Amino acid sequence: MIRFEIKKIFCRKSGKVVLLALAVLLAVSCYMPIHDTRYVNEQGETERGLGAARKLREAKKEWSGLVTEEQVKRVLRENRRINQTAEARSEEVKKQDIAYSWKQGFSDIREMINSAFGDFQEYDYFKADSVTETEVGDFYSNRPAKLKEWLETDQMARGEFSEEEKAYLLRQYEKLETPFYYEDSDGWQHLFEWAPTVIMITVLILGFLTAGIFSSEFQLKSDAIFFSSYYGRDKAVRSKIAAGLLTVTAIYWTMLLLYTAVVLGALGAGGADCPVQSAGMSSWKIFYNITFLEEYLLVTAGGYVGCLFMILVTMLVSTKTRSAVAAVMVPFLLIFLPAFLSGVVTNRVLGLLPDRLLQINLALHYFNVYRLGSRVIPAIPILFVTYGVAAAILIPMLYHSYRKAKVW
Amino acid sequence: MELVINDLTKEFEEVKAVNHVTCTLGNGVYGLLGVNGAGKTTLMRTLCTLLSPTSGSILWDGQDIFQMDGQYRKILGYLPQEFGFYPDFTVEDYLMYVSSIKGLRPAVAKRRVKELLHQVGLSGAAGQKMKRLSGGMKRRAGIAQAMLNNPKVLILDEPTAGLDPGERVRFRNLISELSEDRLVLLSTHIVSDVEYIANELLLMAAGELRYSGTPSQVIASMPQKVWKLRVSRQEVENYLHRYQISNLKAEADGVELRILADQRPHPLAAQAEATLEDVFLYYFGSQVFMQEEEGDCSHRLAGKWGRGK
Ligand SMILES: Nc1ncnc2c1ncn2[C@@H]1O[C@H](COP(=O)(O)OP(=O)(O)O)[C@@H](O)[C@H]1O
Ligand SMILES: [Mg+2]
Repeated sequence: MIRFEIKKIFCRKSGKVVLLALAVLLAVSCYMPIHDTRYVNEQGETERGLGAARKLREAKKEWSGLVTEEQVKRVLRENRRINQTAEARSEEVKKQDIAYSWKQGFSDIREMINSAFGDFQEYDYFKADSVTETEVGDFYSNRPAKLKEWLETDQMARGEFSEEEKAYLLRQYEKLETPFYYEDSDGWQHLFEWAPTVIMITVLILGFLTAGIFSSEFQLKSDAIFFSSYYGRDKAVRSKIAAGLLTVTAIYWTMLLLYTAVVLGALGAGGADCPVQSAGMSSWKIFYNITFLEEYLLVTAGGYVGCLFMILVTMLVSTKTRSAVAAVMVPFLLIFLPAFLSGVVTNRVLGLLPDRLLQINLALHYFNVYRLGSRVIPAIPILFVTYGVAAAILIPMLYHSYRKAKVW
Repeated sequence: MELVINDLTKEFEEVKAVNHVTCTLGNGVYGLLGVNGAGKTTLMRTLCTLLSPTSGSILWDGQDIFQMDGQYRKILGYLPQEFGFYPDFTVEDYLMYVSSIKGLRPAVAKRRVKELLHQVGLSGAAGQKMKRLSGGMKRRAGIAQAMLNNPKVLILDEPTAGLDPGERVRFRNLISELSEDRLVLLSTHIVSDVEYIANELLLMAAGELRYSGTPSQVIASMPQKVWKLRVSRQEVENYLHRYQISNLKAEADGVELRILADQRPHPLAAQAEATLEDVFLYYFGSQVFMQEEEGDCSHRLAGKWGRGK
């Protein structure tokens, strides 16, 4: 029965178009992160793609290890040495690019220094150039210190967080184990960068595929035979739900795993156990203390929970409205509406909307924490539980709504 | 084994589509006759548990069919008026799918599908997509679908509508072939469809069951007599005003009328044996023919000219 339900989904022409669209999406989304990887060579020329990734990996290798004070000093010294070369001081862009090419190996640690010593909110790309070796002792302790200062002085931050929430954020900052281990993790970075796009488009396509599972019986007028059959008001309905969930699960994980395999295969999977704060730039400020591998699991599992939730809403709308067109809009609204809501509703509300599950790697960067009784809980576990439970409740709702349908 | 319809009413907002219908059906072929809008489809959908009644009940062997739930649907076969299917399924896949939701085990289903495809003459088209079938072939696939579970109650809603005369005759034969040992309820607004195959006729108008009985009982139930009379074309108008005319046939030297009347309408009029069509005109007025899509010409002519009751 489930086999036939799945056949109904794919035997339509649109089903085949969708499979093609998924293949194109996969090809493009594997190409983009690889193409995005840049390496500036000794001649100051920018290289891209697989070769660039390999060279960059090679350059960064010698800087991997514990990021101790000694290591930070090494970076500062090397950075200063390069800054004093004729190439770095030249007005010529080409020459500057050559100087930059020498810095690529420690660029990640340099970015950490920028974040550690720069303004909490404004990332200062050149900060490392003015940090002295005597300051290096503050490299890690600056992180909670600057957060504290920001929470206490910043207008917005003071209004936004309660004392408990501030304390929670600080505690999280202090819990980060230091000094931490650094290793080139560009494969993961690029993987994450494009993951929300891959996940969102996959969800939209899945919405398209599943929107008709329930409404098509009405539209095709096959409802009369369906609902007057022996299993029409129980098992056949369950097999429709199962077909939807199976399709979603199979396609989602196929897409994600292929995407992961290609990107990590091409760009390297090193750094899996490094903390996410080592990724440079604003990652320094992330208050979730997890590794890249854990981030990966959150990104993919979050995407899956979000996908299930959105598709179940889609199928419920398909049942209630008996229209695939209305249903196919659901994922679009759930994904794109929040972008228009910023400014209308508070960040707190935005932090709990389901689209965040499809972009966990971005959600990690937001200071969204919530008080639940006496405890403070960050957004990501709340998102997982809320939408996981919602999805679980939607299944029986969908079942009861469909099996009671009247045919007129 | 019997299906008892007990004071059944189904209302849609304003309309009483089925209005206090009571009857008992056993094995045999029942012809449900009525013009479009009489409530046939609504009655049938309710019998298939697709609609719940506003009031009244339906019992199968003494048990409420809505409470029987799957146990009732298990013995039910239904061909809806608008037969909907999955256009990209092959005929065989379609029937295998319906078998599965009807609870047939795959091995049994395979045999049954093969048997039925043969019986309805679609063996050659088993691998064709449903959407490629002709109108008549689709209808035959529809019948096959309804028969998959060898139903005790077979409900066919206007199974001959839209078929050409040849197909229609073949279809009638198929239905009588399939009607052994079960209850077949067949709706139509075309008298000739049921005239020969139905054991019992149910005449429905405006949601009510107006009359039921065997064809000969139905014919006998008409209090008026039928007269044949040849008149000139100029006189036709005059007769149409004064009498119910069940048929008029244009001939070279005038028009032959079938007139329903208590008294001989004209000294030259000859009494004729009443047919079901005459009775229909009597019960339903001219609407019967007005609604008919593809009766013979003479019917349509009568429809145009027939006078209301
Ligand atoms: N879903 C519905 N909503 C409102 N009115 C309906 C609906 N279905 C049927 N009707 C009305 O009920 C009456 C009987 O219709 P139907 O059962 O289709 O008659 P038949 O099959 O004899 O042509 C008609 O007046 C029709 O307009
Ligand atoms: Mg009808």
